[in-house]
Amino acid sequence: MSGEAIGVAGRPPAVAGESTSTPGHNAGDASEPAGSGDRGAADGVVRAATFLDGVRASFPIVMGYFPIAFSFGAAATERGFSAAEAVLLSAVVYSGASQFMALTLLAGGTGIVVSILTLLAMNLRHVLYGPSLLDRVGRRVRTRWAPAWAFGLTDEVYATSIGFLSSRREAWSERWMLGIGASAYASWVAGTIAGAVAGGGALSRYPSIEAALGFMLPALFVALLFSILDRKSLPVVIVAGVVCTVVAGIADVTTGILAGMAVGAIVGAVRSGRSARRLAQ
Amino acid sequence: MSRELVIVAVAVGLGTWLFRFLPTRLGRSSALANGRLAGAMEAVGPAAITTLLVASVLPELAAGGPGRVAVLVGCGVAGVTYAVSRNVVVATVLGALAYGLG
Repeated sequence: MSGEAIGVAGRPPAVAGESTSTPGHNAGDASEPAGSGDRGAADGVVRAATFLDGVRASFPIVMGYFPIAFSFGAAATERGFSAAEAVLLSAVVYSGASQFMALTLLAGGTGIVVSILTLLAMNLRHVLYGPSLLDRVGRRVRTRWAPAWAFGLTDEVYATSIGFLSSRREAWSERWMLGIGASAYASWVAGTIAGAVAGGGALSRYPSIEAALGFMLPALFVALLFSILDRKSLPVVIVAGVVCTVVAGIADVTTGILAGMAVGAIVGAVRSGRSARRLAQ
Repeated sequence: MSRELVIVAVAVGLGTWLFRFLPTRLGRSSALANGRLAGAMEAVGPAAITTLLVASVLPELAAGGPGRVAVLVGCGVAGVTYAVSRNVVVATVLGALAYGLG
């Protein structure tokens, strides 16, 4: 799938064909990493990121997902679920933490309604991802394929997309989202199949590799955090981190994530309101 | 295949997809029009990445021992590598390798 020229210097910057610019984003400025490759040097044309660009961007996610999904597949079969049931959960639910919780609830005989409500509550944070992502892309972004790429809008895909948008907003495209999402999803399902078939302990003979693969996602979050960090986001980062740590210590990690994100969003709203008042004065 | 498992998988899968998809429709018209809401939406990204990082390393940091050192080394290498290379993939891989060897 080749890239398409979607914008020309001197006209309103375009995102996936038609978006307008949003103040406060640094896409395309002098700080853009060298070699990003989506801006023609001579004519200022911005090339929309392709499906394959999305697949390439998914590499850290793929490397991180496979061993976690492998662990899930192995854990499911060890708890008496069939390989087909493990793969069904991965293919349909596609949400790591709630899948592990589903094993516990279903194996423990928890009722269907309670199980469904518990698992949905764990995934509630995902309602913020779509609007946040599209807000960063721009006001008139095209979302024709949102039903497809939103299915793959996991924590890691969202975080990677935010990192991409912080430096290459004008190149964002739905094809890129489909590429990163499809690749991550394939890794998740393949890892589950491998784990369900091989069983636990297959990687235990290589402890360093097992440990490194297990740290892929935290390392990805560190790199992404560095990629988006600036003076504007620093207060949000600090407050969200502190709130998440405290609440996770009192309650649990899932609640900590939700609380950190909510308070971080409130900090962003308050700061935005103050900026607007200052501009009005 | 267990009937209960199929029902739970389909219901949670459908609900999660709706959580991820529906706001892409709702958010376009309302959130962007309001300054505070736009500020909140812009802050969700950094807040989410931060909390996901905290959640992924907190258990090992809290447990102490050699795992804590490995986490700090892995995070440090990932951060420094990104600062030097400006490449997320390279920083991620080197950070993970440092953790594995640490």
